[in-house]
Amino acid sequence: MTAAIRRVLTMGEMHGRDLLRHHVAIGLLIILPLSFYASSASEGGDDAFVAGGVGMAFSISGATLFSVLSSREVDQRLLLSGYRPFELLLGRLLFLGPFGFVIASGFAVLMSVVSHPERPWLLGFAVVMVAFQAVPFGLAVGAAVPRELEGTLVLIGVVGMQLAASPDALASKLLPFYGARQLIDVGASSQGEIVGPLLLSLGYGFVLLVVARLFLARHISIQRHGDIAPP
Amino acid sequence: MARGCMIEPEPDGGRGRGASVGGGPESGAGETVAHQLVARGVSRRYGWTVVLDRVDLEVRAGEVVALTGENGAGKTTLLRICAGLLRAHEGTVGVGGRIGYCPQATGLFELLTAEDHLVMFGRGAGMGREEALRRGRTILAEFDYPLSEKLVTRDLSGGTRQKLNLALALLADPSVLLLDEPYQGFDHGTYVNFWDHCETWRRAGKAVVVVTHMLAELDRVDRVVELPAHPSRVVGRSR
Repeated sequence: MTAAIRRVLTMGEMHGRDLLRHHVAIGLLIILPLSFYASSASEGGDDAFVAGGVGMAFSISGATLFSVLSSREVDQRLLLSGYRPFELLLGRLLFLGPFGFVIASGFAVLMSVVSHPERPWLLGFAVVMVAFQAVPFGLAVGAAVPRELEGTLVLIGVVGMQLAASPDALASKLLPFYGARQLIDVGASSQGEIVGPLLLSLGYGFVLLVVARLFLARHISIQRHGDIAPP
Repeated sequence: MARGCMIEPEPDGGRGRGASVGGGPESGAGETVAHQLVARGVSRRYGWTVVLDRVDLEVRAGEVVALTGENGAGKTTLLRICAGLLRAHEGTVGVGGRIGYCPQATGLFELLTAEDHLVMFGRGAGMGREEALRRGRTILAEFDYPLSEKLVTRDLSGGTRQKLNLALALLADPSVLLLDEPYQGFDHGTYVNFWDHCETWRRAGKAVVVVTHMLAELDRVDRVVELPAHPSRVVGRSR
């Protein structure tokens, strides 16, 4: 195993330990999308799936955002100790990706049992896609904004617009969770295409990761000083 | 010669150190001593405020330098620039080896233990888990912090967190130590112990820069570099 992989694994382990000790935050991470879903499910219709999915995007990207912003100062020291920015990013992904997958899977099963979507497997897949999209989105926002307040406002704005805007509106199509939202709709109603939204989600996720990497390098990069020549 | 800072030789000439910044790389005994840290013409602004104006700083192997100055003089800024954590708007910095940096604020993961931090920082320096813990235990024991405590850093006292910060700075055996008021929160015994360790690091050939307000301890360092409160008041000012 190379040294770089060991560093990424260690970062993943430590971010996991850190996040799993935030018991209240983990509780909210689960309760928040549930409350989004429950409040819409009581009214009937397919909107509950979208509300639940977008609520989960909000909670997972929020957890990722705070993971990035709360450790910015430590991240710089970790770079000084020998890590590279991309290793810090991958370390977070290594934990948050599977963590989001577990929460999304449980949530998809719950929604399938309670609300009986037309294609439960596709709904489950779409909810997992939301989780996978939410992690790079949280990373990108966390890397781009200076503080928690700004990051939280960006999250609220994006998620609020994604919920409020009509799926046919241009603004909705430009938002990061549009593809995943389309997949949820298809899973719930069995109408619509799958490949386009799937590719859009994957492409958006990749772009968000690139954005996160660029901004992370800008915010936490360190200057490698030149060596002093021996006397 | 230094610009933007006053450097005074310590009266302790017996150590053969204390040449002013910008002097040749020779000890008092005439032997050649390598510079481990050389900062030249370093300037930094925050908005319109010039915090550092063409500051020079050179530190040799086996030398302990105290960086003093009033609040807002730019001590932490200079140290962070030397560590590479902050970009200088002008000037260059050269370093002769690995840097160990201990910040003034804690800068730790709140819900990780000391062991977690040692493993994480050790891995960055290429150490395995056991090696990082072994070295960390040794360093922390020297500062009276038994690693048997499994508390997360949020539950540690300020002084204990700072001991961990110091241990993380020392973990990879750096040749340049940049310490920003590292004794914050230390009890008296550990505080005295810290200055004893400065002597040990000096003998080990490390270049040590300590940001300090503790003027009573300045006889324990080789040189004192005082940064002026504002660059506009640099010229002709002496301690």
